[in-house]
Amino acid sequence: MPLLLLVVAALLAAAPLVLPVFVLTLLTEALILGLFAMSLDLMVGYTRLISFGHAAAYGLGAYGAGYILLHSATPLPLAILAASLFAGVVAVGVAWVCTMATGVSFSMLTLAFAQLLFAIAFKWTSVTGASDGLAGIPRRAGPFGLTVFETKVGYYELALFCLGVAYVFCRALVNAPFGAVLRGIRENEAKMLSLGYNTRLYKIAVVAISFALGGLAGALYSPFAGFANTDLVYWLFSGQVLIMVIVGGQGTLLGPILGAAFFMLVQQVLSKWTESWALFFGLIFIGFVMFAPEGIWGLLSRWRVRA
Amino acid sequence: MPPRAGLTRRTILQTAAAAATAPVVIRPASAAADPIKVGMPLALTGPVGSVGGQLRRACEFWAKQVNAKGGLLGGRPIQLLIEDTGGNPATTVRKAQEMVERDGVRLLTAIAASNEALATVPKLAEWDAIFVSGDNGDGRLTGESLVPNFFRPNVSGPMGTRTVALWLRDSSLKSFYALGMDYAWGHNSIDVFKDEVKKAGRNFIGDVYSPMGTKDFSTYITKIRQSGADAVYLVLSGDDYNAFLSQAKQYRLGDKVTMLTELVDEMVLQATGDASLGLVGGSRYPNTLDNPQNKAFVAAWKAEYGREPYMFEGDQYQSCVVMQAGIEKAGSIEAAKLRAALEGLTVNSIKGPITIRACDHQAEQPGFVVKVEKDETGKPVPKVIATYPAAKVTPPCNKMTYND
Repeated sequence: MPLLLLVVAALLAAAPLVLPVFVLTLLTEALILGLFAMSLDLMVGYTRLISFGHAAAYGLGAYGAGYILLHSATPLPLAILAASLFAGVVAVGVAWVCTMATGVSFSMLTLAFAQLLFAIAFKWTSVTGASDGLAGIPRRAGPFGLTVFETKVGYYELALFCLGVAYVFCRALVNAPFGAVLRGIRENEAKMLSLGYNTRLYKIAVVAISFALGGLAGALYSPFAGFANTDLVYWLFSGQVLIMVIVGGQGTLLGPILGAAFFMLVQQVLSKWTESWALFFGLIFIGFVMFAPEGIWGLLSRWRVRA
Repeated sequence: MPPRAGLTRRTILQTAAAAATAPVVIRPASAAADPIKVGMPLALTGPVGSVGGQLRRACEFWAKQVNAKGGLLGGRPIQLLIEDTGGNPATTVRKAQEMVERDGVRLLTAIAASNEALATVPKLAEWDAIFVSGDNGDGRLTGESLVPNFFRPNVSGPMGTRTVALWLRDSSLKSFYALGMDYAWGHNSIDVFKDEVKKAGRNFIGDVYSPMGTKDFSTYITKIRQSGADAVYLVLSGDDYNAFLSQAKQYRLGDKVTMLTELVDEMVLQATGDASLGLVGGSRYPNTLDNPQNKAFVAAWKAEYGREPYMFEGDQYQSCVVMQAGIEKAGSIEAAKLRAALEGLTVNSIKGPITIRACDHQAEQPGFVVKVEKDETGKPVPKVIATYPAAKVTPPCNKMTYND
């Protein structure tokens, strides 16, 4: 399995050599969305913390990186890292509030927080550009005069690198005792509590990590698109990433990455045929939930076992 | 630049077979004459969808006209690439980028919403593409956000407000109130209007902002009536606008207060009918203009669509004609050559002669004030009540405000 992954990673890294530039653009976005979906999987798939407001993480990262790049001379990788940390730090406070509740109430609190952020982004003209958003976010050179990230290929490799590192980190995290506690919370939180685990602290930690990684995805997106606006924090986007996780296969890390790519591909193809593409995607989603609840990743592994 | 033709590209196109055969994309019948591709990533759905529909119709009409005469640059047909953005700036940038990278588009037009245009213009240099605006009003596009590859043959937002302001100075109205949607556009427009009222030596009483999607305007209407103002300036759009006008009619607001607005768009008249009677505002293009080019255009349009052209249709059509004149003068669609050709170009089209300024790429053109009245058949239509010359309407270079 790790061997196969390494091969796929190597193929992806070599992809710019053969792919036309527009496919590379799509692929870069798919990698970024994949990272975003994977970050949510830590909460949804491993801890059963269903968030309806994960777009908040993406938005914090996207606006954070955009603001830093527009208003200072910070080199691109540092700006992305700073924005990601910013999302993680904000998440500690958010999680502290949201984890006061469990189940549906937790989900509603995450939604409320994300909508609050949306309202702020919509009103705070001097920082977020309100309904116009932040435009012309540069991919600045550096550090040390490094110009590689200004190019399309360089940026693609940067996104791939971030996704790779984040995946290895998440895999290690869920395999570590920390991950076992998360799974314990998922299966039976009362039991974990009676075993003496302070489950709330664990939950706050996983939300913070998830937000930091989601923020990393957002921070990669805004210099890539050169643009950030309120759609990135809107509840619709939170719903879409949840769909990516579920369609991809929750609790698998890799599944949500595939789910994100699948979502993008279907949106891309369907939106050319019909203006009501979301309707058809809804049908696909219902199909998955009813006939393949384990998602694309589940289908793939079933097929692999049979083969 | 990776190879644009050859096996790799073809294989990938085949894998994405469905994607490559979009129904709205008119593909060339023969490869003999290399078509001139014009990219149109525009909102056909969402809040500005109705405007997007107008822009699309105008471009299709223009392309058909040009192609019927044998195309441009020695027989190259116009090929429009139309894709829906839903009014989302991020989608607009992505679709435009795809058009540039996948289809080799070097000309863009008809991006409907201003925030979509603002998101797109920083990318033009990288794409080596020219974007000719058909309806984008935001003053910043020819001000602080101006890029060399952006051109605006249409009337800008500040020019629209200015036209109304000039009319104010000539009018007998004394005191004003304002109602706007509670976001950036509403606040900006009303700030500009406030300024103009003060410059005209009139009295600005107060303003109020309604959240987007407001259905019940009764409290706002009461406030406007109680203010005792002679006129109210409206900065509303879409469903909010329609809801306000119908309720204002029920409350007979129009009997006491003159309703002013930046733009009078025929789509609103269609939606609200008699409720829009008496509305006074600017128009970017009134289809009643008396010049041979406009008469020919309106006649041809009526033959095609069975009605007169709407405001945004006329303005977008003019932008297409300006783009066409630029291409013919440059003898090319290369960004550098086309840019040089467009700068300072004078085109005699449906609004009479207009000139694209070299300094900020804004077209100098007259401003029109219209009032909604019934025509012979009893249908509400905008009638021109005042016209102001280009020199008074167009702002100083790179500016959004006026000196007097």
